[in-house]
Amino acid sequence: MTRPYGLLRAGFPFAKTLGMRRLTNFPIDIALGPEGRMYILCRQDGAALVRKYHVDDEDQGNWGEMGEEEGKLQWPVAIIADAEEIIFISDERLHRISSFDPDGEFISCWGEQGSGEGQLDGPSGITFDLDGNILVVDTMNHRVQKFTRDGEFISTFGSFGSGPGEFNMPWGITVDELGEIYVVDWRNDRVQKFDTNGEFVFEFGRSGDGDGEFNRPTDVAVDLDGDIYVTDRGNNRVQMFNSEPRYVQKFLGEATLSSVGRDYMMTNASPNRLRDMAVLEPQKLLRQPKGVVIDEEGRLFITDTGSYRVQVYQKEVIHLTSQQLAPPMRNVTLHQE
Amino acid sequence: MTTTDAGATTDIGLLAHLYRRAGFGATREQLEELSHQSYDDTVEFLLNPTPEVDLPPDVLARYFGGESPNSYVSIWIYRMLNSRCQLQEKMALFWHHVFATGLIKNEHVLSSSNQIDMFRRNGMSNLKDILLELSRDPAMLFWLDNNENHNGEPNENYGRELLELFSMGVGNYSELDIKEASRAFTGWTFGQPPPLYPHGYYPAQFKFDADDHDFGEKTFLGQTGNLDGSDIVDIIVKQPASAKFITRHLYNFFVADEPQVPTWNDLEPLDPQLIDEMSSALLDSGGEMKAALRVMFLSDSFKAARFKKVKSPLEFVVGVLKMVGEFTELRPGLEDYATASDAMGQRILDPPTVEGWHTGKEWIDGGNLTERVNFAAEQIGDGDSPGISALITRMIDGGAMSSPEALVDSGLDVMGQLEVDDSTRDALVKFAGDSEGDPEPSRAVRILRLIAAAPEFQFA
Amino acid sequence: MVTATKKDPVLVVVQLTGGNDFMNTLIPYTSGLYHDSRPTVGISEDRVLKMNGELGFHPDAGPLKEMFDEGDVAIIQGIGYENSNRSHFRAMDIMHTAEPLTIVTEGWLALAIRELDPAGKNVLTGVSFGRGLPRAMVAAGVRVTSVGDLDGYGLMTSVEAQEQRADELDVFRRMYTPMMDTTPALSYLQQTGDDVLAGIDQLQTVPGNYTSTVEYADNPIAKSLRDVARTHISGLGTKIFYTQHGGYDHHAVELVNHERLLTELTGALRDFMADLREHHASEEVIIYVFTEFGRRVQDNGSGTDHGSGGGAFIIGDRVEGGLYAEYPSLDPTTFANGEDLAHTIDFRSIYATLLEQWLGVESKEIVRGVYEQIQPFRAA
Repeated sequence: MTRPYGLLRAGFPFAKTLGMRRLTNFPIDIALGPEGRMYILCRQDGAALVRKYHVDDEDQGNWGEMGEEEGKLQWPVAIIADAEEIIFISDERLHRISSFDPDGEFISCWGEQGSGEGQLDGPSGITFDLDGNILVVDTMNHRVQKFTRDGEFISTFGSFGSGPGEFNMPWGITVDELGEIYVVDWRNDRVQKFDTNGEFVFEFGRSGDGDGEFNRPTDVAVDLDGDIYVTDRGNNRVQMFNSEPRYVQKFLGEATLSSVGRDYMMTNASPNRLRDMAVLEPQKLLRQPKGVVIDEEGRLFITDTGSYRVQVYQKEVIHLTSQQLAPPMRNVTLHQE
Repeated sequence: MTTTDAGATTDIGLLAHLYRRAGFGATREQLEELSHQSYDDTVEFLLNPTPEVDLPPDVLARYFGGESPNSYVSIWIYRMLNSRCQLQEKMALFWHHVFATGLIKNEHVLSSSNQIDMFRRNGMSNLKDILLELSRDPAMLFWLDNNENHNGEPNENYGRELLELFSMGVGNYSELDIKEASRAFTGWTFGQPPPLYPHGYYPAQFKFDADDHDFGEKTFLGQTGNLDGSDIVDIIVKQPASAKFITRHLYNFFVADEPQVPTWNDLEPLDPQLIDEMSSALLDSGGEMKAALRVMFLSDSFKAARFKKVKSPLEFVVGVLKMVGEFTELRPGLEDYATASDAMGQRILDPPTVEGWHTGKEWIDGGNLTERVNFAAEQIGDGDSPGISALITRMIDGGAMSSPEALVDSGLDVMGQLEVDDSTRDALVKFAGDSEGDPEPSRAVRILRLIAAAPEFQFA
Repeated sequence: MVTATKKDPVLVVVQLTGGNDFMNTLIPYTSGLYHDSRPTVGISEDRVLKMNGELGFHPDAGPLKEMFDEGDVAIIQGIGYENSNRSHFRAMDIMHTAEPLTIVTEGWLALAIRELDPAGKNVLTGVSFGRGLPRAMVAAGVRVTSVGDLDGYGLMTSVEAQEQRADELDVFRRMYTPMMDTTPALSYLQQTGDDVLAGIDQLQTVPGNYTSTVEYADNPIAKSLRDVARTHISGLGTKIFYTQHGGYDHHAVELVNHERLLTELTGALRDFMADLREHHASEEVIIYVFTEFGRRVQDNGSGTDHGSGGGAFIIGDRVEGGLYAEYPSLDPTTFANGEDLAHTIDFRSIYATLLEQWLGVESKEIVRGVYEQIQPFRAA
């Protein structure tokens, strides 16, 4: 798979809103399965569960319960699914990674608390690499560790600090189609990119609320064009960068009422009256978004955690060849044509 | 048995007392550090804490996310356990006791938690600012129906309770004053937030609705004019009765248990002289809460009041957790304790009525006592926890195993120099004697667990 | 004392906290003044569950009406006292202490318990279920038991080794042996701990002793009344039970909230009686339902403010069902404070009735005077 020479960015319109309070309670991460299936990880005090959902805004039930025993969840953080829809969930409180089948049948778990090689202290972001191994962000040990799917330790990189390749309580992680690794360095307000061996490539972002700046970013996704999406949770937005990485645009939220939300409102007179009395403008905005994921069709899913829903945008882009895109220019210009 | 290290200038027992009252307790290490400065300096530090750096809001949000009452309460407990601004948290709880606003009616959790944040922000400022912010607080406006206090159709709930329970106490105003105050607060309401479903709470904001405000002439406590709510607050704060009422609340919360509030008009304060001094400090400073607090914490009456006050359930829970030392750094799990005080009779964010919780002896009945004893025994009985294992080490290193008496006295010492009745001590010494021969850590932890179950441990 | 059954009489008190709106519980539906005064919270005539040509029950109080129709409910109309206090706390305090004029700390039921069990032999003579112990059940030296959650009641439950636990409970027992020569607060704590130990041993047997076909609803008052039923059926000698149902302070949005509360309350009362009958344990029990005050006649556009002239209910197999005292006058010239229903019977009359005719306890000292009694009981 090769990346296009260039992109004609036609737009990135808002597509739809999924879920509502009660169904998708504090959604923090999403794993996408085939045929529009979604596994939405929901976590609140007193509840930790996976909501099986369909991209057509259809609830398909939920599984998962709180507890310390194997097969249960305490403070789950990230969810991923492999090609067979085997689900892996990290648990920051139980220091382990658990796997389930699509219906929530527990398969196995691994992980041991500690700071030694192969031990975990507050595992958060997880992702598959191109070999099917699992990269785990080991938050409190300020590093990334690679394990086989069965939890055998392979390698590690990173240590505490703010220099290149160092971390301060890292959180989200993803691997692009080339195998390169992106880690959200949460308390350093930046994202770092590493090659397949964990060697530092570049970093971007700094503290702030301007374009390209972050306030405690949480998650990262990369699409097949190499575009990078970062949930900038403290600034209540998702920012998009190209592969260089140059800031492209931001998503603040355009939520409409989800179809399940509409159904609810149609049978509830009193909340309808309250909506009628209220200023609704803030309701469209993202609130503490946590997770971001993009599929091969360019659908961008943002877990709008604080508002109990998922906001979906649709990337519209046309791939350009070298004939269609002029060569790079060193200088900006006011000359047209 | 009292351990003091070289160079200490302030008695550890007195500091432990100060931190139980002005805060939620302190570890032995913290107390030893404080013992090197004067008591007065420690009081000043509590009154004027350095800006908070220990409680990064980003980390709090990462590990305690959610908008349920438990999420908020667990964050608050974390603050109580770890904030260096102990008195700021204690004053937030104080105002929550006095300006009791309950979720049972309000249901809007975000407004209730915003109210506590407001108490934390303003709780040690000027009484006038505090009452004015209270009168603009959406949770309070809704709780006492001021959103229904209309021009020409006054709802006097807020006006009444503002005078009766929040500032002056019965007997210091007339029914007419209530009606006039209520008129002055007409139109003090809030903008409608969107409903909880389908997308969660949105904050309510104070709104002054001029069209619904009664701009007519009013006479309140002898002053006549086109008074509005802030004028009412101005007049209230200047009343000696208000100063006396508020400082008596402070005394009841921080020094010793007064009878319940409805009796205050009929019964003299336990320490009329201290109330007079605190009231004067409050009035003379134009309503500065710190002035009254300073007089109180420096008074002999306060210093002598060790173990004279029944701990509130939340004080009890947080004090125990502080001893256990599990949550000195941020990690998930604290939400498990957010409801621990419920079964002991104190559901945080949800006092039973606008009068607040009944305190003192009334905290205790058979059911509540059972919950307290069981909670403390379970927590303190965990010898593997960082706090308790440190206490055990301290006891053993300090010679606790030399005799049953030494074991008991050592346990009492490390638990805040707890003072107990002879009968309690005798029972503990007998147990300590019977357990001779058992492993040392086990003996130590069982003594600590039993001390935590003792009647005296219910007192702060 | 009218009771002549073999079993000792039992009183179950249900406190409606916040000031139940009696006028919207037993509704004078033909009164123009009622409808005029309550444009917002008034219940239209077609929705009222009619009792007679003038009065009817709130539409969500169906179970109460059924029990009334079966002759098991005495309704005391217009209960109150002179110069009714509009403060919840003071008003509730007055109800608890039977003393409107000065502040006292001894509760009327605690004083009754002292008479019923003078030596304090049974700490379960008085049992309160739910959050906190009400002032009505508190008096110096009177031992009562307060149970938050009946299931899982015990001490030092985290100590798993049985032998260790027994040793530690023994220390507990010593530490909580009441001492006379200590501070009142410590002495109170010791006494409370001592009572807990005594009560635990007995109450632990209750859940295992009980089965029933009655399925209570899932709400706090139903849970509390079920706990009362289970304990009573276990025969532990409890003579006074106390429970509370909160949320009646309807300044605002009264219609919706009151509907829910009455549904919960009246359903729980019906289920409770059915449960007792199933266990042949109903004859000796009556329920007394009260609140601290009634509410203002005129609604405030959403709810009703604090008023006076409330209502109370006595329910049971041995109750002579019907209306007692007069419904408060709806003539505005008779209103208390110009805006409240005037009471027609003093609450202490009812206390005296319950104490003397049901519990067999002299009432004069407890209610501090002699009050005319009603006759709400029939012989067995």
